[in-house]
Amino acid sequence: MNSQVDVERAQDLERRLRAYEELEKRADWPGALSAGDFVALILLTLVMVAGAYFLGGQP
Amino acid sequence: MNPSREQEFRLGAERGDTPLLPSERVWGFWGYAYANSALAVATWVFLIGGATALFVGPLQGIAAIVIGNIIGVILAASSTCLPCGKYGVEQFTFLRSMFGINGSRLVYFLSVVVLTMGWLAVLGLMCGRALDNLETLVQQTQPDGDGWIVTAGALLAIVLAALVAMRGPDMIRRLSAVIAPSLILIMLALMYFISQRYSFGELLAMPPLQPPFENPHVNFMIAVEINIAAGFSWWPYIGNLSRLCSNQRTAFWPNLVGIFGAASLGESVSLFAATTLGSSDPTAWMRLAGGMGFGVIALSFLALANLTGMVNILYTAVIGLRQLAGERLRSMGWGVLIGLFCIIPVVIVVFLPGIYDGFFIFLVWTSALNSALAGIGIADYFFLRKQRLNLRHLYAEQSGSPVRFCKGFNPIALVALVAGFAIYVVVFNPQTLAHTDFFTFATASLPSCLLAGLVHYGLTRLLAARLGWGGYPKGNERNIEAAGLRVQD
Repeated sequence: MNSQVDVERAQDLERRLRAYEELEKRADWPGALSAGDFVALILLTLVMVAGAYFLGGQP
Repeated sequence: MNPSREQEFRLGAERGDTPLLPSERVWGFWGYAYANSALAVATWVFLIGGATALFVGPLQGIAAIVIGNIIGVILAASSTCLPCGKYGVEQFTFLRSMFGINGSRLVYFLSVVVLTMGWLAVLGLMCGRALDNLETLVQQTQPDGDGWIVTAGALLAIVLAALVAMRGPDMIRRLSAVIAPSLILIMLALMYFISQRYSFGELLAMPPLQPPFENPHVNFMIAVEINIAAGFSWWPYIGNLSRLCSNQRTAFWPNLVGIFGAASLGESVSLFAATTLGSSDPTAWMRLAGGMGFGVIALSFLALANLTGMVNILYTAVIGLRQLAGERLRSMGWGVLIGLFCIIPVVIVVFLPGIYDGFFIFLVWTSALNSALAGIGIADYFFLRKQRLNLRHLYAEQSGSPVRFCKGFNPIALVALVAGFAIYVVVFNPQTLAHTDFFTFATASLPSCLLAGLVHYGLTRLLAARLGWGGYPKGNERNIEAAGLRVQD
């Protein structure tokens, strides 16, 4: 970690890590999946699995 | 910092050296949905649809495709796209948080290197079969099975794929741009030819090609398992695509358009083609479906599409291997590394050509691994880390990082992986199709995913804090610890 490039690389990584730490401190993370997304996902999965099974999966 | 250096670091972030910032990510919802669909609609959908037709007829087959893919895709995407899409972190760097630095290298080797070698052999053999069927069409002879044309064609495809991969990403991008639309055209043409011969009702009532069991429910569950395996087979790849998306939501939902929706449609068309044309081999459909003209064009495109797929996965796997491997591999020439990578696929083509007809066996074996990996990922990210990663731990020197675990490996995650793999094989043996009664209502992937997750969660709660492994948050201090603030103090 002596060369100028290595120092600058470490600074760049530090800048990126700090950016995410700033985001982490906020109450809401922009574009994060919400509880609504998870509920929609579970419902969609159940409807797809049950629907496909009852429409075509039974022998 | 001068602009050229800034550009260099940004390129490094794109390649996975550091986390990508939200402002640097290139894909919105539809951009990722398109890329995702183009990835999904490749020659593997033909193989998966064809394999499904062996076990069930079209009506049950479509149900198996929908059920299997939705389960596999959602579990694979939850364990990779959500963390990688949130933090912009490279997938196998993220895996350090649960497997350790060396453990993530091991997972890369098992899930990407082995999988890619198998796929190279399968797609190479498909190229060989396409050439053999072309010869059959032109010469009006019978196909040669696994004769010399198939072997020579497969070996030629592997050599060509290696040569193109050595040329770099520009050529790959140019080839890839034309393949997905061409395959969609071939599928539409197949559907047209099939609809000319059969009504929709007749199609749905067709029987399976070679059901191995008398009980149709068991055959149906095997078809579901094959399609869960197809969904899970994206696990090694989609994390690194999703980190290019603008946010977590954009990194997740388009998977349902592409690797679920587009792949399911393609597999359904393939299922119809296999059932009506009496073969699970896609190269035979192209010969039988629409006469000489269609056959020659479709088989040529199929061979080219396989070649493109092979180049894509070969290039991606070797890039990743170089990133994760030590100095010795990194100092090796790019061409030499690609050449060495192709040795095992060549051996498989020559000595185990049966991998092509028993393709689903290979696919389902990979699910024994991928389902356990997904279970561990979900347990670790959602339940142990409460969706918060400490990026400083992931990028720290191994000697000073809690994700060093034990000599760079997390024994807990490895035990969980073995447990998940073992329960899979006990419940359903992909090689012999032997199964327990439990399999007939629970599948094998779901118990494997659940058990691996439970073992990882339980042992981590029990041991990791005492041993100082992993930097897991404890109770209500999780936010401070996970945000990385304590590490900086």
